[in-house]
Amino acid sequence: MNDLLVKDLRKTFRLSRKQRRIDRTKERRKVAVDGLSFTARRGEIYGLLGPNGAGKTTTLRCIATLISPDEGDVRVDGKSVLTDSLEVRQYISFLTSELKLDDFFTPNYLFDYFSRLHGVDAATRKKRKKDLFKRFGIDRFAEVKVADLSSGMKQKTSLAISLVHDPDFIVFDEPTNGLDVLTARTVTDYLLEMREAGKAIILSTHILSVVEKMCDRVGIIIDGRLQAEGTLDEVRRTDADANLENVFFQLVEQSEVAAA
Amino acid sequence: MKNLWVIFKKEIYRVVTDKRLVLGVFILPGLSIFLIYTIIGTAIGGQMDEEQAHVPTLYVENLPGEVEAHLDAHMDYTLQEGTIEEEALREKIREEELDLAVIFPEDFAERIDSREGIPEATVFYNQGSNHSSNAYNNFNQAMGAYHENIIMDRLDDPSDYHPYELGTVNLVDERNVVAQGFAMLMPMLIIIFLFVGVMNIGPDAIAGEKERGTIATLLVTPTRRTEIALGKVLSIALLSFASALSSFIGILLSLPQLMQFDDTLPDISIYGIGDFAVLLLVLIITVFFIVALVSIISTYAKSVKEATTLIMPFYFIAMIIGIMNSFGTDVNQSLLAHLAPIYGPINLLAGILTFEYSLVNFFATVLSTLVYTSLFVVLLNRMFSDERIMFTR
Repeated sequence: MNDLLVKDLRKTFRLSRKQRRIDRTKERRKVAVDGLSFTARRGEIYGLLGPNGAGKTTTLRCIATLISPDEGDVRVDGKSVLTDSLEVRQYISFLTSELKLDDFFTPNYLFDYFSRLHGVDAATRKKRKKDLFKRFGIDRFAEVKVADLSSGMKQKTSLAISLVHDPDFIVFDEPTNGLDVLTARTVTDYLLEMREAGKAIILSTHILSVVEKMCDRVGIIIDGRLQAEGTLDEVRRTDADANLENVFFQLVEQSEVAAA
Repeated sequence: MKNLWVIFKKEIYRVVTDKRLVLGVFILPGLSIFLIYTIIGTAIGGQMDEEQAHVPTLYVENLPGEVEAHLDAHMDYTLQEGTIEEEALREKIREEELDLAVIFPEDFAERIDSREGIPEATVFYNQGSNHSSNAYNNFNQAMGAYHENIIMDRLDDPSDYHPYELGTVNLVDERNVVAQGFAMLMPMLIIIFLFVGVMNIGPDAIAGEKERGTIATLLVTPTRRTEIALGKVLSIALLSFASALSSFIGILLSLPQLMQFDDTLPDISIYGIGDFAVLLLVLIITVFFIVALVSIISTYAKSVKEATTLIMPFYFIAMIIGIMNSFGTDVNQSLLAHLAPIYGPINLLAGILTFEYSLVNFFATVLSTLVYTSLFVVLLNRMFSDERIMFTR
């Protein structure tokens, strides 16, 4: 049984003249992720924690094969994002706010469309759609065009669509964004259920309470580097009060001091 | 390649179930062309009818009897009564109250008969007025006949006036006349309509998806970039073809009014099934070429607006080539011309319509266009895999 392995991941982006001016730098490339390594095991939720611009989204996009790493690799169930990207996309579910749904279609149509792209057979598709739509309350607006849905409804639809193929690896970036408390709870409950079902889940978030409530292990990423990693208890223990928030702020401060 | 058809069907469904797109892509192109050309045709027809119905008003001083007889034989007219001073006459012609004025000298006919000098009559007309110009032309014809009679009277033997007979035999092939007409108009219209059809669909299908962020959702599915590229190209090609067809139907329906053919269309039966099959094949490969070109530009662009702006120069180039072909006298038979993108298919279309194409040129155009299109699709496939292109905003 293979896990999701991120190994020595490095990703840089070329800075345009305009970006260099805004960032007040002469560097032509920005290092977004710098030698990142971690493992998300099956049957656990791995929390990726970090401030804005830390490299979380870049890491997730590399895992989802949307972008290629400059160095290093990501292996999903033994398959490399560099050489087996098609297989990797079969195994993973990726949810992030930058993946949008076409306004013209209904949740019902989109679920069927993405199921077909994932090669899900008709009977399974029907059953899975019924289950997911009921669980997230999508059945009430299944035939309403995405354009007419609230942001919460859109998020629920994106969530269900990312799961059309019942993937073994779930990569979610801020999945409870825009959801009301009740629906957010439904999503977190669902993820816990998926963990019990033996799936590997990477949860990227900046909400510490979500990390504390759900994650088995956590990696704190700052300036593209993994600054701390371990079980929640292991990470908490680095603070005198065993407080995750304190640990996080200390690491951010240390990073800022080092940068200065 | 299963996902290619999933994407193809979704793209088609997206357009045919959207009332606004159906209206904009399939109905409006044909309807607007039909309405515009019908209005133009009706306006021209109305003007011609009005011109024919108009009886010109002539003012003639000292009208000789023989001239009057010729005038009666050549035109309908009304004579203005009374006497008008020359200045007032000029004013009335300018103001279009009178269509034509002629002042003959009192002894016009006598001097002709006696051959004493050359009598001079003065004609006033207004070239800026259609009625006046027509009256002047008809008057000239009447005077021409009068002139001919005088010459014949002066000859000892009237048959001397016709020293020879000129028999002419026009060997025109009616088929070629119609074919030349088609070849002058159709390649230009075809290329314009196809381009407009592709521009109606292409930018939104690719640049629109990038702009809205929906292409990323597709890119995280286990779908090959080739399947996405081909799924888009095939669906855009089919929809564009239908859009161009709408424009053609519009122009065909408006032809009777536009060309004043009295409800009869130009006879397209000069072309056989083979000709239509060859035409269709060239149209299809041309559509694919244009779609692939527009798809590349749309993939490169960050938004629909940018894509449309970047496509315009290519559209103008194609339009200019089409117009140049319309004014050209003969089909360019060189092999090189048939290998050129856009120009090759336009030239071949003109060749097919005038029955002047060789199989070598036909295959040169078809195969070269297919090669260009394939290269574009390969490039498109690479662009879909390039994160800088797909995710730069």
